[in-house]
Amino acid sequence: MKTLLKTGIITLLTFATFILSTTNVNAQTKNETDKIYIKIEVDGLSCPFCAYGLEKKLKQAGSKDVLINLEEGEATMSVPKEQQPTEEELRKIVKDAGFTPKEIIFSKTPFKIKKDEE
Amino acid sequence: MKNKVVFILIAAFLGTLFLFSCRGEQEKKTEINTHWKFAKIIDLNNVNPIGIVAQGDFLWLSDVDNNRIVKIDLDGKIIESFDGFQRPMHIAIQKGKIYVPEYTSDSLKILEDGKVSIYKLKEKPDAIAGVSIDGNTAAVADFYNNRIILQRDNKVTIIGKEGHKDGELYYPTDVEISNDLIYVADAYNNRVQVFDLNGNYVRMIGWNEGIKVATGVKVTDSQVIVADFEGNRVLVYDLNGKLLQILSDKFNQPTDIEIVNNKMYVVNYKRSSILVFYK
Repeated sequence: MKTLLKTGIITLLTFATFILSTTNVNAQTKNETDKIYIKIEVDGLSCPFCAYGLEKKLKQAGSKDVLINLEEGEATMSVPKEQQPTEEELRKIVKDAGFTPKEIIFSKTPFKIKKDEE
Repeated sequence: MKNKVVFILIAAFLGTLFLFSCRGEQEKKTEINTHWKFAKIIDLNNVNPIGIVAQGDFLWLSDVDNNRIVKIDLDGKIIESFDGFQRPMHIAIQKGKIYVPEYTSDSLKILEDGKVSIYKLKEKPDAIAGVSIDGNTAAVADFYNNRIILQRDNKVTIIGKEGHKDGELYYPTDVEISNDLIYVADAYNNRVQVFDLNGNYVRMIGWNEGIKVATGVKVTDSQVIVADFEGNRVLVYDLNGKLLQILSDKFNQPTDIEIVNNKMYVVNYKRSSILVFYK
């Protein structure tokens, strides 16, 4: 009887752990797939006033993780899917920040930044 | 009698010559004293400074990349660090208070004895790039609105508007109040502009030198010094805008200048260092 109880408890614990981990993975995956990743190539991005000006304007557009790369002349960011700005809206933000936007790329997966590649 | 007159004339001639040569030497000496000479580089560890002010034997820097204000000694060693500032730019100091313009939050903050308070601006800026404090008067460089907000007690004067003509501004990044005049680093108009306290245009400095981006300005009782960020130079003018000297060695994106005890400190944003000059 005792053995049966022990086996039952172990089975229940294992099952609970499995369920919890699966939920976690699902939540993580859901979180990632709920985002859209954006890369904006910009002309004239040379000084910190420019870089952090663009950062400020893009944050106002709803992103919390704007990253400006002065060397490459590009900005990367992510936004929740339901708040995804149009390319036209992004071009206006970049122009209002004082720059000329070049290519704007939307992606379902994060962009590799130089630090990641190193 | 004739000999006496000749002797007096010769003596007067020689005396005049002597006096003129002395005056020439004096002028030469004064000229030399206006010139800055390189002294040394202070390397910084993980600090990318925009603004610099001096306090006794210490320097305060706004470390924009790391969102903090740091106090360093004259060897570059960090003595104190205050985190949590949102992209701090050109700072100012008065009576031990450090005035910190936050580019991202549009706030002007005061750091005093480790505590942070807010200086209330009556006009809303969009990205404060620089600040100057003179008694009860504050001037802030309102980058995206292309203007200077001058706040004296309760009175606000707006200086400049977007444009390229005299008195108009194009992305101002630094400002300094000196002897009832407002000096503005009119960054992307490639010059410094001078206004009076009523906002009237007075003069322009640096137009002929091909400044690429006039990022920082420092005014002393006899000189106006300009940091040319893209040109990797520092230009020294007299108060009327006459060019006195161009320093162009060892700079790597200079952004600001501080002068204390006859020494000039210029911050290099990219190289993460400070260049020191003396007279």
